[in-house]
Amino acid sequence: MAVLVVRDLKARYSAKGPEVLKGISFEVSEDDFFAIIGPSGAGKSTLVRCINRLVEPTAGEIHFNGQEITKLGRKQLRVLRRDIGMIFQEFNLVNRMSVMDNVLSGRLGYTGNLRTLFRAFPRRDIDHALQLLDRVGIADQVDKRADELSGGQRQRVGIARALMQGPKLLLLDEPTSSLDPKISREIMRLIKEMASEFKVPCLCNIHNVQLAMEFCNKIIGLQDGIKMFDGPTESMNEDKLNKIYAMEVL
Amino acid sequence: MNRPQGQSHRPEITYEQILQLRHRNWLVRSVIYVLMTAMMLWSVQVTIISDTDWERMGSIGKVMSSAARFVGIDWALFPNLIEPAIETFMIACLGTLLGVLICIPATWFGAHNITPFKPVTYPIGRLLMTLSRSIHEIVWALFFVAAVGLGALPGIFAIAMRSVGFIAKMSAEAIEDIDVGPIEAIRATGANGFQVVLYGIVPQVLPQVLSVIIFEWEINIRRSAILGFVGAGGLGLVFFRQMNTFNYHGVTSVIIAILGIILVGEVVSYFTRKSVI
Repeated sequence: MAVLVVRDLKARYSAKGPEVLKGISFEVSEDDFFAIIGPSGAGKSTLVRCINRLVEPTAGEIHFNGQEITKLGRKQLRVLRRDIGMIFQEFNLVNRMSVMDNVLSGRLGYTGNLRTLFRAFPRRDIDHALQLLDRVGIADQVDKRADELSGGQRQRVGIARALMQGPKLLLLDEPTSSLDPKISREIMRLIKEMASEFKVPCLCNIHNVQLAMEFCNKIIGLQDGIKMFDGPTESMNEDKLNKIYAMEVL
Repeated sequence: MNRPQGQSHRPEITYEQILQLRHRNWLVRSVIYVLMTAMMLWSVQVTIISDTDWERMGSIGKVMSSAARFVGIDWALFPNLIEPAIETFMIACLGTLLGVLICIPATWFGAHNITPFKPVTYPIGRLLMTLSRSIHEIVWALFFVAAVGLGALPGIFAIAMRSVGFIAKMSAEAIEDIDVGPIEAIRATGANGFQVVLYGIVPQVLPQVLSVIIFEWEINIRRSAILGFVGAGGLGLVFFRQMNTFNYHGVTSVIIAILGIILVGEVVSYFTRKSVI
């Protein structure tokens, strides 16, 4: 069954600006690990950000578990975002806060303003955060400030934060682009493990084609805001890749 | 490049033209120098030569002996300075605190990336900051003395109003420079606006803002020390009284006391700022 259905999605950043997405359609099923590949400027990041409306799409439909995302009001959107975890290229942690507080910030959508003010999260959230930190392999860094960690460790905090939400979909925006090849592979493996463990479908915008082929079961190829390829990883080949990345050669 | 056709080739400059150009520059420069000198001479004539009471000043010896009246310390005055010194300190602290409270809306309005409705609220925020800074603390104090009467309260109000500009401007600039990544991440968790500010913005700007507040507090000690001149309490008031009763040694004592608390303020400010950064 499709968890996420995107139909004819279009986006532009300003009324007169160029169209970044020119009508994209695809479906993500329950156990999919979807890769979005394509050259720089193809609209990969924009596409991922349209799903939880960090970028507002200009036209098209996004159905998530039967809900039409593009029509939601502000409050409904916040409720919806609780179900969609996101992992970022630059980790996007709050540097001056502890690892624990960063992971707990994944629960903000479920936390009242007063509790937020005093950082008074419920006991079970804290227990859950400790479990997740242990699961992603940085249980010994709980009290450190986020900016004291290495890149790979920071991304593990980012993964724990996203999982803290108890997401029904994970959006990954270039999760490995700031990491070296070895750590990149480790992080991808971890994300894949977590995704199957918690049964969360993933939509992963990724620059590294090799990693995409290795970890993802389906691939979308974007070029200049147009979908050039959509299918299982096995059906991807050199020719099709060259077509997707043709822009870079020119 | 699509340049208009007439300009497509470089105009040729001859040796004579360059000389001519230099000659013209030299002429312009000479005129400016002459004008500046004339203005300066005029200013000296108006403000110094004709505006000074030369007869009352008398000879150089008399000037020196007038100045010498301040040499010497009225030790008996010091016990009476403790209370005003503490009051000066309190005016600075409460004034800074009140200023910080007023800063919250001013900063919110005046930072262009978080201002609620830019065409209206942004100019209001910026206007508040400029107004606060462009009016001198003595003028603010005169205004509040007229409004609420003599005492420490108008001093506190004056300090608060004068502090808003600098603290709010620096805080707004800090907010404008923040990394938007964490904000995006916090929004993506389903957090509301208040939570985004608390988790995404405050941790990023807090050290900078605290440092600015402490710095402003240090300056406010200086300011509150002189606010008494216009009736707003503290050491300034004692200074004013000593001057009026021609107790010049007492004036020197007050100046020493002011110097003392400013020094204390500077030391405290240095160490606290070092600890927050």
